[in-house]
Amino acid sequence: MRWFIRRVTRKGKGSIQYEEEIHFGETLTIGRAANQAIFVNDLRAALEHATVTTLGGGRHCVESLVAAGLRIDGRFEQNAVVGSGHTIEIGNVRITLIDPPPDFEAAVEVGLVDKAEVAAREQSEALPQSLAETGLSKRRWAWTLLLATLFFGLLLPIVAHYVGTFRSLVKETPAVGLNIWDSGPLASAHHTMANDCQSCHGEPFNVVRDDKCLACHAGTAAHADPVKFPLPEIAESRCAHCHRDHNGDDGLVRSDQILCSDCHRNLSERVAGKTEVGDVGDFGTHHPDFKVLLPAWDEQGKFAPTRVSMEKSPLTETSGLKFPHATHLDPKGLKTAEGQRTLTCADCHRSEPGGALLAPIDFEQHCQRCHKLDFDLRMPDRQVPHGKVAEIQYQLAEYYSRVALEGGYDDIQAPVFVRERRRPGQAAATQEETRQALQWAREQTLRMTDDLFGKRTCTICHEVSKDPAATQSGWRVAPVRVSGVWFEKARFTHARHATMECADCHVAAQSMSSADLLIPPIGAVGTRSAKPPYACRDCHGGEKAARQLGSTCIDCHGFHQAEMPLHPGVTAK
Amino acid sequence: MHDSILDYRGFRYLWVALILSIGSIVAYLWHDPIGVPNGGSWLGYTLGTIGALLILWLLWFGIRKRRYGRATGTARGWLSAHVYLGTTLILIAFLHAGFQVGWNIHTLALVLMLLVIFSGFFGVYAYLRYPALMTRNRADSTRAAMIGEIRELDAQALQIADKVDRSVHDAILSSIQHTEFGGSVWKQLRARDNSTTALARLKEAVLASDAGEAPKPQAGGSQTMVMMVDFLANQASDTQSEHLRRLIDLISRKRALATRVARDIQLQALMEIWLYFHVPLSLGLLGALIAHVVAVFFYW
Repeated sequence: MRWFIRRVTRKGKGSIQYEEEIHFGETLTIGRAANQAIFVNDLRAALEHATVTTLGGGRHCVESLVAAGLRIDGRFEQNAVVGSGHTIEIGNVRITLIDPPPDFEAAVEVGLVDKAEVAAREQSEALPQSLAETGLSKRRWAWTLLLATLFFGLLLPIVAHYVGTFRSLVKETPAVGLNIWDSGPLASAHHTMANDCQSCHGEPFNVVRDDKCLACHAGTAAHADPVKFPLPEIAESRCAHCHRDHNGDDGLVRSDQILCSDCHRNLSERVAGKTEVGDVGDFGTHHPDFKVLLPAWDEQGKFAPTRVSMEKSPLTETSGLKFPHATHLDPKGLKTAEGQRTLTCADCHRSEPGGALLAPIDFEQHCQRCHKLDFDLRMPDRQVPHGKVAEIQYQLAEYYSRVALEGGYDDIQAPVFVRERRRPGQAAATQEETRQALQWAREQTLRMTDDLFGKRTCTICHEVSKDPAATQSGWRVAPVRVSGVWFEKARFTHARHATMECADCHVAAQSMSSADLLIPPIGAVGTRSAKPPYACRDCHGGEKAARQLGSTCIDCHGFHQAEMPLHPGVTAK
Repeated sequence: MHDSILDYRGFRYLWVALILSIGSIVAYLWHDPIGVPNGGSWLGYTLGTIGALLILWLLWFGIRKRRYGRATGTARGWLSAHVYLGTTLILIAFLHAGFQVGWNIHTLALVLMLLVIFSGFFGVYAYLRYPALMTRNRADSTRAAMIGEIRELDAQALQIADKVDRSVHDAILSSIQHTEFGGSVWKQLRARDNSTTALARLKEAVLASDAGEAPKPQAGGSQTMVMMVDFLANQASDTQSEHLRRLIDLISRKRALATRVARDIQLQALMEIWLYFHVPLSLGLLGALIAHVVAVFFYW
């Protein structure tokens, strides 16, 4: 096999010299040793650096004999199969495989690598030595992040605001569309609107307007009459001034003290003469005595309770009832028909369903077992109803008429005819006897009425007086009533105080008169009682109370409580 | 007197930052907002405005630092203020938000801001620490000079290796070709040079050569330079031992230089890498801030 080797020597100024020679053998050896077919005069070449073997068909196998390898087409390789046109570089020598001339099986062209070319290549092959050279770009990332945040944080939400189809499409997708603007969880009552921003937010760049709230809350009461109290806080405030959503479950309704104390601590100055509401700044330190609703009746006898400050205590409660709590709560017990019995508060006072108020006392249920309404010693089981005077009189008249006609009434005062027992169906003997019997019945009815109302039964509990004008019998029973709601401007629920004993607040066990007001007072400022009876301030203080339960105005009082709607004429949609 | 970015003009901006921080904390504690503290109270809006203006001013530093001699104040003063007021921003942002967070653009702005600030903290550390390390590492030379010196040592090593043995020559040749400075971001930051590999190869080459028929080296043992010299000298014949000693000397010098070059590249990369987070994230923050402010007033 014959190799055609052409040596190219550049002699400066562009003149090129060619030397051609023939190499016999299957393999073309390349190296720094003298016996190599192609001699490389460069220390970067090994003595026997590489071989080129012809594979036939213009293909050659180039193989490096040393670990350093060689450059094939500029890249370091250990071996490769190449055709003509490709170059091999070892040290400063470049060998180009060329198409063999006629009569040769293979051909190469050998020359030196141009120094300028080497320098340029070194520069282009140099690895980056700074971050900037690695192609890392601050500018590219900066633009990407800027546009990404503007796209997701601004463009998509604005598109979602204006384009309904897109809005409903991404409604449930977290952090896409308007959801990425959601500044915090809605209050529990509003959570159904969490995906519907526009149910509250209307015009862009405008605050949430009241009409959005009134769509559901039309019947909300005002705090005070805005005409009577033209204060900016009342007349000009938006709902959202106080009700700020996106602050979680409890964030919507204000319960802070300053909500009220801001105006009420010096209300008398602000709205001079227009209100009887006292100045309040803090429940623990700056709150007037409670005003309790005491039972009273107007001149027409209509129930008209009056609000009285407990400042003037002890107050007298005129409920119309005579009831000594102490007697009934005697720890030794009461002698009853059923034996000795000790009463507790709960025997009479039961909560209403719901627990806010106590159920009214009922005579038949709570009193009659001991306080029987019997009227005739001869008939101890007969009782009059617990009702109106006239009704009782009718019952007595009917009862004694029957007795008179039937006879058999064992009373020496009664006419003989009445004392004699008749058989059933036996009529009165004479008209005169009948007249006498009924006359006795009328007199007996009056006697018993006077006995019941004037001496024995009713007066035990009721204020009974003689009043000829009042009824046929001339007896009048004063009406009995307690307020039911003692504090009409505040909310008190027994249910929230279920851990307390009744006697912790109500001094019933020492009260010998129903005129005693057993409602606990607000209590003194700054001092706390260590044992019952407690006043409210013994447990409750103002918002920032250190030793008591921090209680704000809203714990007892309502804000929207005026008797007029907040926005007259608006009805819920 | 020299002062760094931290103690510039007697910690002038530290005091500014402290006054701003304490003022914000006092206002936050004193403020009794409607409901829970949040960005929608008057203090929330105030702190938000201060925070937004601070962010814009901090971003302006990127432009200011390029304006040599055309702007007020010194670059060092600006950087000192940039660092201290940037740090204060963490507090102002949290007080502004009333410590409320959620999966939304508002908290994204907060997170981006924190990432920018914390990457900036690394920057402060880098600027205070690495220049001195770089100077010490370069030891009055330059990177180009050190690389030139390595090329020189390579050429000398090749000459001597040729006199020893062909396998040794091959090993040296191979190691020269595998000598690399820099590379990808990761390679620059890791600062690994392959001169230890070159030494190991040389050892293999000596073992493989005709020169030595000595006991096998203890496998796996990491060789110190002294051990290597002794070992190689023992392998070689007397005539070659001198060449080997010189070769080892050259390679050791090359290794020391290559390590310093890699360290130089590493320190420079560390000085720069945080900016590749700091700057893009700050632009991301700008976008999120604009979206945050627009969102808040769009749905007021």
